[in-house]
Amino acid sequence: MKRLAARGAPLAAFLALWQWAAWLPISFNFPTPWQTAVALTELLGSGALLQASATSLQSLALGFGAAITIGVPLGLLMGMVRGLGRVARVYLDLLIALPSAALIPLVILSFGINIFSSAVIIFVFSAPFITMNAYGGVRDTRPRLVEMARAFGASWGKLFTRIVLPSALPMILAGLRLGLSRAFLGLIVAELLLSPFGLGKLIMNSRSMFEHDKMFAAVLWTLILSGAALYALARAEAHLLKWRA
Amino acid sequence: MMVQPVGIAIERVSKSFGAMQALADIDVQVKAGEFLSLIGPSGCGKTTLLKCVAGLLPVDAGRIVIGSRSVSGPGGHEASLVFQDFALLPWATARENAEFGLLLRGAPAAERAAAARHALAKVGLAGSFEEAYPSQLSGGMQQRVGLARALAVNPQVLLMDEPFASIDEQTRRILQDDLLRLWSEERKTVVLVTHSMEEAIYLSDRVVVLSPRPGRVHRVLDVPLARPREKLDVRASGEFARLVDELWQILKKMQ
Repeated sequence: MKRLAARGAPLAAFLALWQWAAWLPISFNFPTPWQTAVALTELLGSGALLQASATSLQSLALGFGAAITIGVPLGLLMGMVRGLGRVARVYLDLLIALPSAALIPLVILSFGINIFSSAVIIFVFSAPFITMNAYGGVRDTRPRLVEMARAFGASWGKLFTRIVLPSALPMILAGLRLGLSRAFLGLIVAELLLSPFGLGKLIMNSRSMFEHDKMFAAVLWTLILSGAALYALARAEAHLLKWRA
Repeated sequence: MMVQPVGIAIERVSKSFGAMQALADIDVQVKAGEFLSLIGPSGCGKTTLLKCVAGLLPVDAGRIVIGSRSVSGPGGHEASLVFQDFALLPWATARENAEFGLLLRGAPAAERAAAARHALAKVGLAGSFEEAYPSQLSGGMQQRVGLARALAVNPQVLLMDEPFASIDEQTRRILQDDLLRLWSEERKTVVLVTHSMEEAIYLSDRVVVLSPRPGRVHRVLDVPLARPREKLDVRASGEFARLVDELWQILKKMQ
């Protein structure tokens, strides 16, 4: 009961603040929480939201999946091969410092306007963080554990799978969580600025039709989706790292 | 499963790190089944020497022979290391940690589990502790796991690098007694690096005193205290106090 109150109170405060903001004469288009909830139900009922979600999640799976399959091994390799790590991290730092949206014109020129180019944007948004964390995780490996394994005659392969990889796992997983939130950011940026697909298209269409309750509902839905995905990842993380509890 | 203990011959060993000479012309013969300690001021290279014996560091000159095998690299099956900071895998349970040496050597799962259980029982960690993670164990218990991991591969030689240095005094004394009991049961050759004079005298047959920069053998002190010391209350004897003082006088003159 106490926990329920502790979790419910911030939500209630947020809704109250939203309601209050809607009453303020900021804009007559600003929908109340209730109007947004009604619009969300309508959009869910008509299937428009689910269809848009399916399209968006397709890009997300493609882009984020590629970011993991390329980003994690690259980071691990950078950590294992010192020289490569020193050189590559300069470019990685640049990619992280760069406002990723600035690459969108380049992506359009290279790939055209389609779901694939959304995936490319998502990849660019998330992969540098995933790689950087995997790299940092390898570098965090305690030298003493490597020494211990060598003393028992561990081969390079065993050193990697039994010492380096488990040592890097917490950082890798933290990188995936960071990367996933960046991937959602990339997804919406891509769909708003570049390719008229999925949830971004729904948000833009609602705005141009002055259906601000629907626009807000789509934004809220995106928030729910990314929140759920991040929660699932956090649960997986807690399970994999249960030794840290 | 009992193995015959083997001796260690350290012959004219020298070792440098760049311009800094760490060990110069070290000659030590460790007898089979002997308990030998290395002591000396910091910078005397006692840990370096132990790592050379373990094959983790190559020697520049001279050679080290364990039993009949000349040490040329790490991973020799004759010796196991015990570390000051325990070097346990934080993501693995006590049992998995104890199995780790066997896992690296490719032993089948059933054999690993049996050997790990046996070793954990020997160091007093049977039962529910087997599934505990290192973070759930006290420092003393963590070192028991470290010792079990070393014993599980059934080595002829135990190489211990200040194993009790980061453990509180009461626990340390209990662990020292347990180590003596294990040593008399298992008949292994032990080389222990320590900076504690009491520990060196209490545990060892002989204490090798190294001088610093570069590390050389300064003196070898015999410890003729009766065994089993863990049962004879040796710490309270006048002879024990006299030997600790003799060691202190040697070390003091070196400063």
